[in-house]
Amino acid sequence: MLKRLYRWLDLRIGVGEIVEKELTGYLLPRNINEWYSLGSVLLVIFALQVITGMLLMIYYVPDADKAFKSVTFIMNEVPYGWLIRLCHAVGSNMMVAVLILHMLSTLLMGSYKAPRELNWVTGFTLLALVQGISLTGYLAPWSQLSFWATTVATNSASAIPVVGPYLVEFLRGGKLVGPPTLGRFFALHAAVLPVVIAAVIGAHLFLLKRTGVSAPPFGREGTATPFEAQQYHYQGHPGGIPFFPNYALQDLASISIYFAVFLAVVFFWPGMPFTPDAFVPADPFKTPAHIKPEWYFLANYQTLKIFPSELLGLSVQAAAMTFLALLPFIDRSPERHPLKRPVFLTLVIAGILLWIALSVWGHLS
Amino acid sequence: MENEGRRKFLGVCVAGATAAAAVAAGYPVFRYLAPRSGQGGAAKLVIPVGELKEGDAKFFEFAGSSAVLIKTQSGELVALSAVCTHLGCIVQWVKEKQQFLCPCHGGQFSTDGTVLGGPPPRPLAKIPLTVTEGNITIG
Repeated sequence: MLKRLYRWLDLRIGVGEIVEKELTGYLLPRNINEWYSLGSVLLVIFALQVITGMLLMIYYVPDADKAFKSVTFIMNEVPYGWLIRLCHAVGSNMMVAVLILHMLSTLLMGSYKAPRELNWVTGFTLLALVQGISLTGYLAPWSQLSFWATTVATNSASAIPVVGPYLVEFLRGGKLVGPPTLGRFFALHAAVLPVVIAAVIGAHLFLLKRTGVSAPPFGREGTATPFEAQQYHYQGHPGGIPFFPNYALQDLASISIYFAVFLAVVFFWPGMPFTPDAFVPADPFKTPAHIKPEWYFLANYQTLKIFPSELLGLSVQAAAMTFLALLPFIDRSPERHPLKRPVFLTLVIAGILLWIALSVWGHLS
Repeated sequence: MENEGRRKFLGVCVAGATAAAAVAAGYPVFRYLAPRSGQGGAAKLVIPVGELKEGDAKFFEFAGSSAVLIKTQSGELVALSAVCTHLGCIVQWVKEKQQFLCPCHGGQFSTDGTVLGGPPPRPLAKIPLTVTEGNITIG
C-alpha cells in the first residue's frame, strides 16, 4: 500500500529524486558526532511549542481580568490541561537549554568559522528571539511572578540614555505594566515572534544546505572538501555517510533521549518552571519579596545588580552579546580543534564558569 | 533471509511503538479538545408563573441548548426546544400571530411545536414541565 502510494507520488512529483538528493544521497562527514543532532532536537521542541501553544489558546483568555482564571481553569478543570500547559512551560525552558548546548558545541568545534559565519549569526539571532518569546510568554498567566518579572525586565530598558523612559512606556503600553502590556506581549508571543522564529529557522536551514555541514575537527579522518574563499562552492563530503538512514537514526536517538528528560521533568518535577508567586494572581499594588527572573536571565539580572550604574551594567552585557554575535568575524584563524587553540578554550571555559557563577549568585542573592 | 526476517520484526516493533506513542500523545489531546460532560447548563429550571403573561414567550438556556416557554392566550403553559428542526437556527416568537417563525428559511411552528409551513421536517421537541406552588419547573 505504502509502496504504491510512493510510486503514485513519484510518478507525479518525482519524490524519488528528492529522497535521493535530500536523504539517501545527502552525505555527511564520516566523523560526524551526536552533537550535530541538537538542531533536529530543537526543531522538534519548536514544533511541540507551537502545537501546545495552539492548544492552550483554545482556553486561554488574553485579558488581564480573565487570564489568571483561564490558566487556573486549564490546570484544574480541562482534561489533561495540566499536561499541555506543563509541556509548554517546561518545553520553553528546555528550548533555551538545548539551544545553549547547540551553540556551545558549535563554538567548541569551531563550526562558526568561514564559510559558516551567517549560520552562526542566524543561530545567535534565534537565541535572542527564543529569549524574547520566553519573556513575552512569561506574562501570559498574569500571576504575581509574571507581573513583577515583566516589570523588572521592561524597566531595564529605562537605563538607555534619552529614549529609555519612553521605550519602557512603549514596551508596556503605559507607564506601568497593565492590561495593555498583556495585549501587546500576547500578540508578540503568539503571532509575531513564532513567525519570525520560523522564518529565521528557514534561513538557518537554507544556509546549512547551501554551505554544507561542517566536519568536526576531531574523531575519524574528515571527508570535507576544503573551503577556499575564491568562489562559492558547496562543501560536500564525498565518501561520507548518508543522512538517511544513518544519521536520521542518530537524530531519532537524540530526540528520544530529549523526550526522556523532558517527560521526566513534566511528570516528576512539575514545579520546575514555577515559584510560589506563579500561583497568586497579579496584584499591581503588592510587590512580592525576592522576585527573580527565569534561570537563563539570572546572569543578566546579577550583572545589573553588580554595576553601580544600570547603564554600565547594560552596556557590559550589550558588549558581551555583540562580541559573541560577531565572533566569526573576529576569530578568523582557520584552526578549529579546541585543544590546538588554548587561548580560545580558556576563554570559553572562563566564560561558561562566569555565566554559571553569576547565575548562581543571582539565584542566591 | 534471516536478515530480512529481523528487519521485518524490527520494523513491526518500531511501527507498534510509534502507534503506541501516537495513541499516548493523541488521547490527552483528544480529551483536552473534547467538549466537557456536564457543561451543558442546568437540566432543570424553575421559573415563577408570574414572570409570563398570556401570549408571551420566554427564551432560556436549557441543558446546553436553547428553549422557550410560552403561555398561550388560553393560559396553557408549553415548553419547547427553540432549535429549528430544519438547520438548527433559533426560532423567533411572533406574538401577533401566536406562532414561531424561523428567520433562516421561513419555517413556521404552532404553539405546540407542530410544523405549520416551510422546510422543517419535524415539530419542535417538547420539554416536560410541572407547575407547583406558583413555580414552573422545566425538565
